[in-house]
Amino acid sequence: MGRYIIRRVIGFIPVLFIVALFTFVLVRAIPGGPFDNVGDKALPPQVVANIEAKYHLDWPTHMQFLSYLLGDDIVGGLFGGVYAETAGDSLGLIRGDLGPSLRYRNQSINEIVAVSLPISIQLGILSLIIGITIGLPMGIIAALKQNTWMDYSATFIAVLGVSIPSMVIGPMLIWLVAVMAGWLPAALWGAKPPFILGFLPSNLDWNFWSHAIMPSFALGTGMSAGISRLTRASLLQVVREDYIRTARAKGLRERVVIVTHALKNSLIPVITILGPMFAAVVTGTFIIEQIFGIPGMGKHFVTSIGNRDYPLIMGVTLIYTVLLVVANLFVDVAYAWLDPRIRYD
Amino acid sequence: MKNKSLMLMALLLIASMVMTACGTSAVETVVVEIGGETVVVTATPEIPYEPVVLYRNLGAEPPTADPALATDTTSVEVDGQMFMGLTTIDQVSSEVLPFLATDWSISADGLTWTFNMRSDIPWVKYNTATGEVDLVYDADGNQRFVNAYDVEYAVKRTINPDTASDYSYVLYIVKNAQAVNEGEEGVTVDDIGVKALDDVTVEFTLESPAGFFGAIASMWIASPVPQWTIEAAGDKWTEPGTIVTNGPYVMTEWVHGSELNMMKNPHWPEADTVQIDEIRNVMIVEASTAFAMYENGELDTTALPSPEVDRITADPVLSAEYYQAPVACSYYYGFVNNKEPFDDVRMRQAFSMSVDKQSVIDNVLKGGQVPAGFFAPPGIFGRPDDDLGIGLDYDIAAANALLDEYLAEKGITREDLDITLMHNTSEGHANIAAAIQQMWLDNLGVQVNVENQEWGVYLDTVGKDTPIEEVPNIFRMGWCADYADENNWVYEVFNSDAGANRLRRGCVDDVCAEVELKEFDIITEQAKAEQDPAVRKELYTEAERLLSEVEAAYIPIYFYTSMTMTKPYLTRYYPSVATPAWYLWTIDTDARGY
Repeated sequence: MGRYIIRRVIGFIPVLFIVALFTFVLVRAIPGGPFDNVGDKALPPQVVANIEAKYHLDWPTHMQFLSYLLGDDIVGGLFGGVYAETAGDSLGLIRGDLGPSLRYRNQSINEIVAVSLPISIQLGILSLIIGITIGLPMGIIAALKQNTWMDYSATFIAVLGVSIPSMVIGPMLIWLVAVMAGWLPAALWGAKPPFILGFLPSNLDWNFWSHAIMPSFALGTGMSAGISRLTRASLLQVVREDYIRTARAKGLRERVVIVTHALKNSLIPVITILGPMFAAVVTGTFIIEQIFGIPGMGKHFVTSIGNRDYPLIMGVTLIYTVLLVVANLFVDVAYAWLDPRIRYD
Repeated sequence: MKNKSLMLMALLLIASMVMTACGTSAVETVVVEIGGETVVVTATPEIPYEPVVLYRNLGAEPPTADPALATDTTSVEVDGQMFMGLTTIDQVSSEVLPFLATDWSISADGLTWTFNMRSDIPWVKYNTATGEVDLVYDADGNQRFVNAYDVEYAVKRTINPDTASDYSYVLYIVKNAQAVNEGEEGVTVDDIGVKALDDVTVEFTLESPAGFFGAIASMWIASPVPQWTIEAAGDKWTEPGTIVTNGPYVMTEWVHGSELNMMKNPHWPEADTVQIDEIRNVMIVEASTAFAMYENGELDTTALPSPEVDRITADPVLSAEYYQAPVACSYYYGFVNNKEPFDDVRMRQAFSMSVDKQSVIDNVLKGGQVPAGFFAPPGIFGRPDDDLGIGLDYDIAAANALLDEYLAEKGITREDLDITLMHNTSEGHANIAAAIQQMWLDNLGVQVNVENQEWGVYLDTVGKDTPIEEVPNIFRMGWCADYADENNWVYEVFNSDAGANRLRRGCVDDVCAEVELKEFDIITEQAKAEQDPAVRKELYTEAERLLSEVEAAYIPIYFYTSMTMTKPYLTRYYPSVATPAWYLWTIDTDARGY
């Protein structure tokens, strides 16, 4: 298992490189540059040239990519000439420097991520907990009580949860719980930097929870619907397997049959979607963050493209990639635990 | 077992909430008991001074707090509270008023502007450790006051190409600024026409006379900045605890993407006129969320989202908190003047005359906007008087006559016209386009295609160097004031030499590499250098008439309004041109209750 994990982790490097290369080339292929215009105003070409020179956008694309990857000092040292003269202080991706933001002119991508990603992680984990807490039991009950009122109500709730988008649930919650009832604050997030371990809130008080309840719930219910449908379908399939019949024939109590034999196996598809789901929610969800005014990272996935903030687009894409491959690795490891037939070495 | 642990977790969660809730109420009871005991002790406790706090929404993370780099309203508004310009723009009348400068004089040829400055404005810095605002001292222990050298440094810094300032071009009116900014050989930053004559006198030399330079001097890009801090801290000089400022407020906290807080600068000479002690700015992008916070009492003032207008105006209480104010911005449709069929003036006039602007405002926008006959909105110096009625009127019969004449001459029918209207992707623009598309169909019988593109792509598409077959026939655009003078409008936007020339006026070739100047271009150039305000206004009036009526090069549609909700206890201004000055706002704490 250990060797398998190491092999997989080494395999991440080419994946990251390819994602970085494609994103780098693609974002530069979009018409319109980051500094062509200010609002409706078209800037004089020389002004644009001055700003582009500062961020090396006047270099050939492959040189920009090398400098993004290796850092300005290495590229300057290797190629000399203009690349050494106009070098900035970027250390490059290999040393963990995601470069300067083109939109937020006094901030680096690392700084932007350091304040926004932790908040998305907090919200993502809370809503994932809600999603699993509601979805899993609902799916299990629906499967065990198939074709009863419990199954129908669970299905109904799940369909509702999937089909009502968060952009409806969010404003509805704000209107009912905050504006009408006045129980909770309408928006914002209750934790701010510095964070414990870089991502955990330093205050688990009412201020934190009061801001976290509505958005986590709005995000979590949507996920719970998917989880519950998948759990139900998968469990229904598993309970018809021969080994379940065998277990029952042995005279095991129904409870043991379900919990130790059926449920564990039926979780494989659920775990499979939980991996990408985890990566998606902890990097932030645009709509929920927008509606609840949460300063997470989700908005950067969307606005950075409109702003043509190339390094920010690169940064959030790479972070998402890393989380996705890591989450999938966890999923694969979990398979081995859930299903003894799966072995990796 | 799994269910049990989940249950336990849920219980813990609830318990933690209950406990924190109990905690606060317990503290409150303690406070009450202490109040009871004071009667026995006889000493009355001193009531601590409660700072007056303003809660407002910034709407977005300011891209920068560096005055040289600010371009958007959010950054400019933040800088406007922390940095003083030589002049300032009146919140109501939009006139240029003295601010850092006490007075100024202009040489007979209009080329030299000399500003006399106040000497009593200290540089200050917020101390993150003590929570107080500190004065700033130089290496010799002398207190630093804002002086003319700071102005000289700031202007040169904005123009210096190394600073990479977007708005450096606004200062091109200053002698040699353009040459230095464009990296021309033989000129250096020292050749720029700004010079501190002594601590309190700064002299600007201009390229050509510019009656509007007083307004330019109010702009953030010319506000003095602390050289020693910028040189020491580099790009990070704008963070709280480092940033050195001179205005009525200082920045105390900036959680990027989340909140930006300020407190009153007690060392500002006019500090006793500033009533609000602290400002808490949140950064809510979604207008409906900010409005919910306003309704929930979490914000003192916010923008009213247009879907809510009908509900608010119908509500007797909330309608009193609603205020519509003009904003110095203009919304228009541009014709591509060198592409068929709008290379013919009759077609441009016909399409312009068949747009019912009032109907767009009443049925689509609903914000009390003002129909526009020409480009510059109220509050801009040099703007034609409204009673002159400049602009083409809504006249369906005349429009059809012009259209028929054109069609007959070309030997084509209405169905042969292939016209595309393009706007950048947005629900608001789409609604306006749909309404106007219907007007053209109803009034002229012409079916116009509507397309949209993402903003960055769109700006590329409507640029003057896009191949002519790829540009739409009509495009949407808007403009907001940088400074309150017609030069910033008709000249900087539409002069085919100076502006972006998206209208492609006077193009000799398809992509406008070469342009032929028209009367409008000559007049706006002339008005720029004219020193007599009355003559300038006459010239601009003529220029506006030429562009909207004679050339009909574009369709002016409406002048913007802001739709704002303000709690009754907050007194504020709604400036149309000036940067909102929070330091002039007041809160009636008795009415608010805290």
